[in-house]
Order: sequence, then structure tokens, then C-alpha cells
Amino acid sequence: MLQVTNLKKVFKSGDTNVTAVNDISFSVPDGQFASVIGKSGSGKSTLLSLLGALDKPTSGQIMVGKQDITKLHDHALITYRGTKIGFVFQNYNLVPNLTALENVMLPLEFAKVPKKKRQARAKELLDQVGLQDDKQQRKPGRLSGGEQQRVAIARALANKPQLILADEPTGNLDSQTGKMIFDLLHSLARTERTTIVAVTHDLSIAGKTDVTFKLRDGKLISK
Amino acid sequence: MNVITRGIRNAFRNGVRTFSIIIILGLSLGLALAMVVARQAVQDKISSVKSSIGNTITISPAGAQGFQGGGEPLTTDQLTKIAATANVIKVTETLNDRLTTDNTSLVSAIEPGTLGNRRGRDSGVGFVPPDAADRGGNGTNQRQITRTFTPPVIVTGTNDLSDQSVYGGNKVTFTSGQPLDTSKDEDKAIVGTALATKNNLSVGSTFTAYGKSVTVTGIYDTGNTFSNAGLIMSLPALQRLSAQPGSITSALVTVNSIDNVDSATSAIKTELGDKADVVSNQDTAKQAIAPLENVKTISLYSLVGAVIAGAVIILLTMVMIVRERRREIGVMKAIGASNLTIMFQFISEAITLTALGLIVGLVIGASAANPIAKILVNNSSGSNTAQTVSGPQFAGRGGQRGLRAFGNNSLASAKNIKAKVGLNILSYGIGTALIIAIIGSALPAFLISKIRPAEVMRAE
Repeated sequence: MLQVTNLKKVFKSGDTNVTAVNDISFSVPDGQFASVIGKSGSGKSTLLSLLGALDKPTSGQIMVGKQDITKLHDHALITYRGTKIGFVFQNYNLVPNLTALENVMLPLEFAKVPKKKRQARAKELLDQVGLQDDKQQRKPGRLSGGEQQRVAIARALANKPQLILADEPTGNLDSQTGKMIFDLLHSLARTERTTIVAVTHDLSIAGKTDVTFKLRDGKLISK
Repeated sequence: MNVITRGIRNAFRNGVRTFSIIIILGLSLGLALAMVVARQAVQDKISSVKSSIGNTITISPAGAQGFQGGGEPLTTDQLTKIAATANVIKVTETLNDRLTTDNTSLVSAIEPGTLGNRRGRDSGVGFVPPDAADRGGNGTNQRQITRTFTPPVIVTGTNDLSDQSVYGGNKVTFTSGQPLDTSKDEDKAIVGTALATKNNLSVGSTFTAYGKSVTVTGIYDTGNTFSNAGLIMSLPALQRLSAQPGSITSALVTVNSIDNVDSATSAIKTELGDKADVVSNQDTAKQAIAPLENVKTISLYSLVGAVIAGAVIILLTMVMIVRERRREIGVMKAIGASNLTIMFQFISEAITLTALGLIVGLVIGASAANPIAKILVNNSSGSNTAQTVSGPQFAGRGGQRGLRAFGNNSLASAKNIKAKVGLNILSYGIGTALIIAIIGSALPAFLISKIRPAEVMRAE
């Protein structure tokens, strides 16, 4: 269960304070696929950063399972990001000089998983997201956008996270590939019982998720 | 793949840039290593010149020039004070005198020859001034006069037979008998092989000197005809026999370290004032090695400059790389990498670049060390040549000539530098490369720690 309570994030911009996330509260049960929609500047990416412990909130509470991640110190945050959270980015953000397999192995290495186990796990995940064997040894530059996003999803799943945070996961893909990726995420949410929170502009995709949150000016205006 | 191999692989992400950095770093490291080797070669040469000069100071009475000069002899009292000077460990005192047909039964082992008779033309032992009949009214020679010159027998009194200076700087071996006890005032002497042969002397033989019978206790060989034609007695005995109590004609002061020769020389000069000429080879040595000291300084500055240049090159490169990979660093942090892990990866990348630069640098350094050392020495010594050959004046026979020769030889020897490129260059290289890599990685590491993963999200 993801439980967000009275979450607030205020940035300083010169002499003025900008409230990017303003007193948001919501919850997402385990294994559910939630989407966050809203215009540019509505606070979607900031919310994702806070959920992923990439940034600290000004106030409020984020419970992932039984753990309040806003109270974690730096070292625990690194462990939390590495083992409890999976990120999927709009631009895939794969390491360009590593193969698809090596990219998926990366979070496993940071979590200190032994080499043989991480190789096996990475291969299993790439098979699961439908990347053929020959493409697993390719570097990102030699993969299509859809294939790169599959690798990114496999990487996000590597350490069996409780929560996957996806920032516009289909934003750079054509509609057909986008649909495939969405379906992949959806099925993973069910099979792996992983909670997924995805930021999207695509209302058709948002409409297919279990729950949708709409943000405007940092406030949650509808569920 | 681990953090180190990832860092190594990252070093080759941009082939052209990597190649350029390696070449530039190689030049910088090569120059640094060449300077290390040149500096080491110069240091070795300085040590060699210094050790060849020794740690001794010569004291002669002011105005003395062997048997040609004048001046007042030194005294035992003066030398007792010198012996108490700081850093002085030994004072070898000598008194020289000449035995002639008037005061010895010995016959000189030196044949006068053309050189000796030339000296006897106007003065010297055996010179008989022409009588009035031989001279015209105006005192000029009117007819050919045949003069004869009998070389004297040189007798040396000393308090230290172990010092080579007593034997004219030659190594000595005893062919028979044994050395004297120089602390005792006895009518005993050791004689050179040439003098012994000429006078049929052997251990236990006696000869007359200063009206006394002197016993031969040993016969020595120095390998030098002039030295082998002399005899040596204890200092107190010669002072008594020659009626020169407390007189010393020269002294050789030994200082505990080459580095203290200067201070000891100054102290002795202060003590003796204008009564003595106090000379060490240190001044001459200083002038001979001055160009080398310049080269040492130049090579040190160049070395530091080259290392700084290398560090700046790698620093700027790594800063550029970190800035380029801000998003990648953010992503790595987002998927669980710690600052330390990412820093190690970048340090590993910096070390890889530096290590490759080191390989190029070793080749450049090994081939450039000798030419660079020679160019530096030749350029530096050119302006000092005039100074080097005109050092302080030695008292005594042949002193000035000897010094000039010493100056020239020292300069020639100092310029003859051969930089040796050994395995130690590898350790210097690795050390330098590590310093460069660490300095070059410090700022990028700081930048890495400041990159927040959330900024990457906002940049999406």
C-alpha cells in the first residue's frame, strides 16, 4: 500500500516560494496501477520525485508499506531507492555504453547481488518483457524506442520493487508501441503485485489504469 | 561488471577524445618523468663532485709558497684552537724542512737534471755566487760559470702518518719496518724507497741529521719518485732537531661532513685572521656545481609544472565528462547507486586515462630524459664557465695551476651527465600518475556528490 498524507513541497525561486505540491493525500493499494495526469507545471514530476525519495518533501508523510520514507536518512534512502522503487523514464535513460543485459544488471549490482544471480535475473526479466536473446547483448543505441523502454521496465523490476514510478513511459513512443508498453506495465502490476504510479498526458492510457489522480497547480483536484 | 571495469570501459566511450587526452597527458607525464630522471642524474653528479672534493681544509702560513715563499709559520697553540673548532674532527700538522750537505749525511735521491740545474742558475742550495774576478766592473758576468745544484732531502715532521697528504697525497705501503709513533720525540725516521736505495739504508740503519744520529724504523713506497726521496719524522722530533719549536708549516683540517666545510672554513679564518691562508675546495666545488644546482631548480619547477598541467588536464576532462553525464549520474542514483560508488567509477575512469597517458609518458620520458638533461646542463653551465675556472687561490706549490685544472676538470666532469632510465622511472611514473588522477578526480567527485537525482527528473 502506498499512502500519501498531506504532502507538500515548496521550492524557493528567487525571493518567492513556489508550492509545487500542495497538501496532497491519496493511497494506492498493492498491485494497482495508478496514473497521474495534469498540465505541464501541475506538479506531476515533483510528486513522482517525492514518491521515489529523489527529493524531500517540505511536510507530509509517504508510507510505502509500513515505512515512512520521509524519515529515512541518506544511506537508508539509497537502499530504499535501490530495492523498493523502480523508475521508468520517458527518455528511457539507459547507460549508453552498456548492453541491455548490463543495464538491467546495474540495480542488482548496486544492491550487491552476486554476479551469477544478477545475470540470471536480468536475462529472466528481459525474456519477460519480450526482448529477444540477440538484442539483449545490444547497446541501447542499436535498439528501437520500444525496445529501450522494455529494457528500462526490466531494469525497474530488477530488485522486485514494491513500487514502480513511471514518468511519461509512453511519451516518446508511437501509439501502438505505447499501448504495448502500457499493457506490459499493467500485466506486471498484476503478476508481480507491484504498485505502479505513472505520470502521463495520454488520457486514453490514464483511462485504462485502476485509479487516476488529476493535478492542477500542485493540488489534487480529482481521483 | 563492477564499478572499476565500468569506469575503465567508460574511458573509451569517446574514442577521439580519449586519444587526444592520452596524448596530451602522455606529453605532460613524459616531461615530468624526464625532469625526474634529469634531476636524479644531476643530483648524482653533484654528490659525486662533492665526494671527490672531500671534506678537508688546508691551512698555510700567509705568504707561504712552498720553499719559495715567506711568512711566519703557524704555531701549535693556533692549531690546538683550530682542533677545538666545531665540526673539526682531525688536524694533521706538518713541518717541512730541507736537509742539505751542511746538516746531513744523506745524499739526495733526486738527480738535479736539466730542470734542477735551471733552478740552480741564480739561487738555491749549492749555488755559489761568482766572485768579483768573475764579474766586470759593472757586476755583469764576463765569462761562463759552471754551477752545480744539489737537490736537498725533504724532511717532513707530522703528527699523523695515516694521512695521505703527508706522502704528497699518494697511497703508501711499507716495504719493510713499520710506521713511527708520531707522538714521541725520538730520533727515528721512516724513509722513502728511493732515498733508502741511494744511501744504502735499511731498517735499523742510522744516518746523521742536524748533528744527531737518526735510526731508520721503516721504508715506505708511495709510487712517486719525489715522495720516495723524502723522509718522515715525528713532529716533536723534527721541531726539536730543526730548532723550530712549536712551528708548523701547514695543516690539513678534516671536517665531519662536506656540508660543514663552509662553516668550519669561516670559523678557522676568523680564528687565524690574516696570519694564514685557509683554503678549501668547497668554493671551487660550489662554482663547478652551480650550473647543476640551476638545472636541479629548473627541473624541479618543470616537474611541478608538468604534474600540475597533467592534473589540470585530467581535472578539466573529468569535470567536462561529469557535466556531460549529469543525467546518467542522476539515473544511477535513482536506481540505487551511492555517491561513493559513482565516485569510484569516475576515479577509475580518470586512473585509466592517466595510466594510458603514463604508458605514452614513459616512452617519451625515457627517450627525452638524456637529451633534456644535456641541453639543460649545457645551457646552464655556459654562463658559468668563466667563474668556474677562476676560483680562490691555493697556497703552496702548484696551487693555482692545480686549482685551475681542478676547476676545468670539475666543469668538464659536471657537464658529463648521463641520465639513467631505470625501473625506478616506472615507480615515479605510477606515483605521478596517481597524484594526477587523484587531484584530477577530486573536483569531479565533489560535483558528483552534489548532483541530485530529482534534478534529473525535472529535466525530463
